[in-house]
Amino acid sequence: MDSTIAQKTWELENNILAVEAPDPSSDFIFYYDEVAQAMSLKAKPWANDPHFFKRVKISALALLKMVIHARSGGTIEVMGLMIGKTDGDAIIVMDAFALPVEGTETRVNAQADAYEYMVDYSQTNKQAGRLENVVGWYHSHPGYGCWLSGIDVSTQMLNQQFQEPFLAVVIDPTRTVSSGKVDIGAFRTYPEGYKPTDDPISEYQTIPLNKIEDFGVHCKQYYALNISYFKSSLDCHLLDLLWNKYWVNTLSSSPLLGNGDYVAGQLSDLAEKLEQAENHLTHSRIGPLGTSRKKIPGRITSW
Amino acid sequence: MASSSSSGLTFKLHPLVIVNISDHYTRVKSQLNLPPSLTSTSSAATSNNNNNNSNGGENNQQKPPRVYGCVIGVQRGRTVEIFNSFELIYDPSTRSLDRSFLEKKQELYKKVFPHFYVLGWYSTGSNAQESDMHFHKALMDINESPLYVLLNPAINPAQKDLPVTIYESELHVIDGVPQLIFVRSSYTIETVEAERISVDHVAHLKPSGGSAATQLAAQLTGIHSAIKMLNSRIRVVHQYLVGMQKGDIPCESSLLRQVSSLLRRLPAIESEKFQDDLLMEYKDTLLITYLAMFTNCSSTMNELVDKFNTAYDRHSRRGGRTAFI
Repeated sequence: MDSTIAQKTWELENNILAVEAPDPSSDFIFYYDEVAQAMSLKAKPWANDPHFFKRVKISALALLKMVIHARSGGTIEVMGLMIGKTDGDAIIVMDAFALPVEGTETRVNAQADAYEYMVDYSQTNKQAGRLENVVGWYHSHPGYGCWLSGIDVSTQMLNQQFQEPFLAVVIDPTRTVSSGKVDIGAFRTYPEGYKPTDDPISEYQTIPLNKIEDFGVHCKQYYALNISYFKSSLDCHLLDLLWNKYWVNTLSSSPLLGNGDYVAGQLSDLAEKLEQAENHLTHSRIGPLGTSRKKIPGRITSW
Repeated sequence: MASSSSSGLTFKLHPLVIVNISDHYTRVKSQLNLPPSLTSTSSAATSNNNNNNSNGGENNQQKPPRVYGCVIGVQRGRTVEIFNSFELIYDPSTRSLDRSFLEKKQELYKKVFPHFYVLGWYSTGSNAQESDMHFHKALMDINESPLYVLLNPAINPAQKDLPVTIYESELHVIDGVPQLIFVRSSYTIETVEAERISVDHVAHLKPSGGSAATQLAAQLTGIHSAIKMLNSRIRVVHQYLVGMQKGDIPCESSLLRQVSSLLRRLPAIESEKFQDDLLMEYKDTLLITYLAMFTNCSSTMNELVDKFNTAYDRHSRRGGRTAFI
């Protein structure tokens, strides 16, 4: 057949080309091995090691859906669930779907409202041939970064008790659009009272002043996982062709125009932080100890 | 069977739909073609999943299955925008569409996306077939003029165009009998900003995490390749015009008209108002960069002062100033 010859030429070309292009055998990741999954669910290797899961692999489809849903919420937090499976110490996210709940940061278990929707959706999915189970939830933090708030931490700890294996993913659609790269983070919480043995070095991100207390109190109670993405060979091919069409959008998009008010908000937040820092500095001038430069002439003159 | 559409509707397709269909197809295909290490579990797996292939899946090398599903979106006036899609259960041998499933899925999607409604259906394959008309007619009671989106999953490296075609149905009189036939329509790809970024991200598998320098480099390469593309397209048009001038290529006045209208748009960006706005935005960006640089500098200064104090403070406390600066 023509198509097999074309595929073989493509495969041959792929071996010569850069390592990045996946060859068709990597589509194996799409295969759902029910027996192996059931076995690993019984064995529960994550029950003994709180740091068991180290990596997350997100499919192209899941990422696209999550980012679009997060962006469509505007400044309101939205949430949804992720479907996938586990593979050793990695959680694989194959798909995601949105939940019809209103996101407010003050509700502990917004998921409870959507249980009926979840069950219906999972059932219809299984009928349509998607056999994986729910492996996590995602929600958006529009404009204030990817981290787990206090409510999120308690929700995730509850989830990790009853719905293991479970993963929490946070997306910031505003920062994604303004910086041009996807702002996403995957987290798992430690159980109560567990002290992590080493301090993981995380990338610094600016957090607005009104949220920074919430961030600081809980930042040690969870750890971030490495995220990598995968796509099928057909996806690869289609996305390459798609580039021919949307290169115009790449050139014509301007984060200045799109996110003007976000930038203004960030600047005013920075101004507040500077003010606070200044107040702190003048405070410490009066205090007994300190290493500020202004102290030295004060001490020398007292001699 | 496929002539060009005359309905005058413009179609806009979002990349999410394309990725959705491709994912559905890959899933169904990989559930059938198992890797040789798992042939023992093959019978259990194939009996468990319900897919649309009527072959039963005993042999590994078989014709790839066709998948079916529904596309949803919005129609505003003459513009039809296709946003999303989901799978459907259809048995091609008995030609029966699972209605209750379709309605259930519609309900679920309505809750999350209240503005979208069913616009048509999709399938995979290389050409639109006569048997597809049955499915098309079945959907006609939901939407009186549904669309048919066809994705060709055969990977052809020589292909330059997206293997996606959109068909509409039109009532034509053939041999005195009015029948519905498929007519092809053209479409454009439409993206929201967030969609474009994530598609770009996955398409080029940019490193996630990593230092800010690599991210910046990746983004700049993206813009660089976009500019290269623009450049190459302009070159093509230029060569075509030169050829026309020399007389190698027959003059085509409609094309010439389009090129001249494009060129006439260029002077619009030389106006004063444009320059004012551009300079204002430019100054804003420069100010912000300046501010960021300032903050960086002051933090480095602070660190230097701290290190300085740690190094020299102890001596001055014990007695006498050490000579510094």
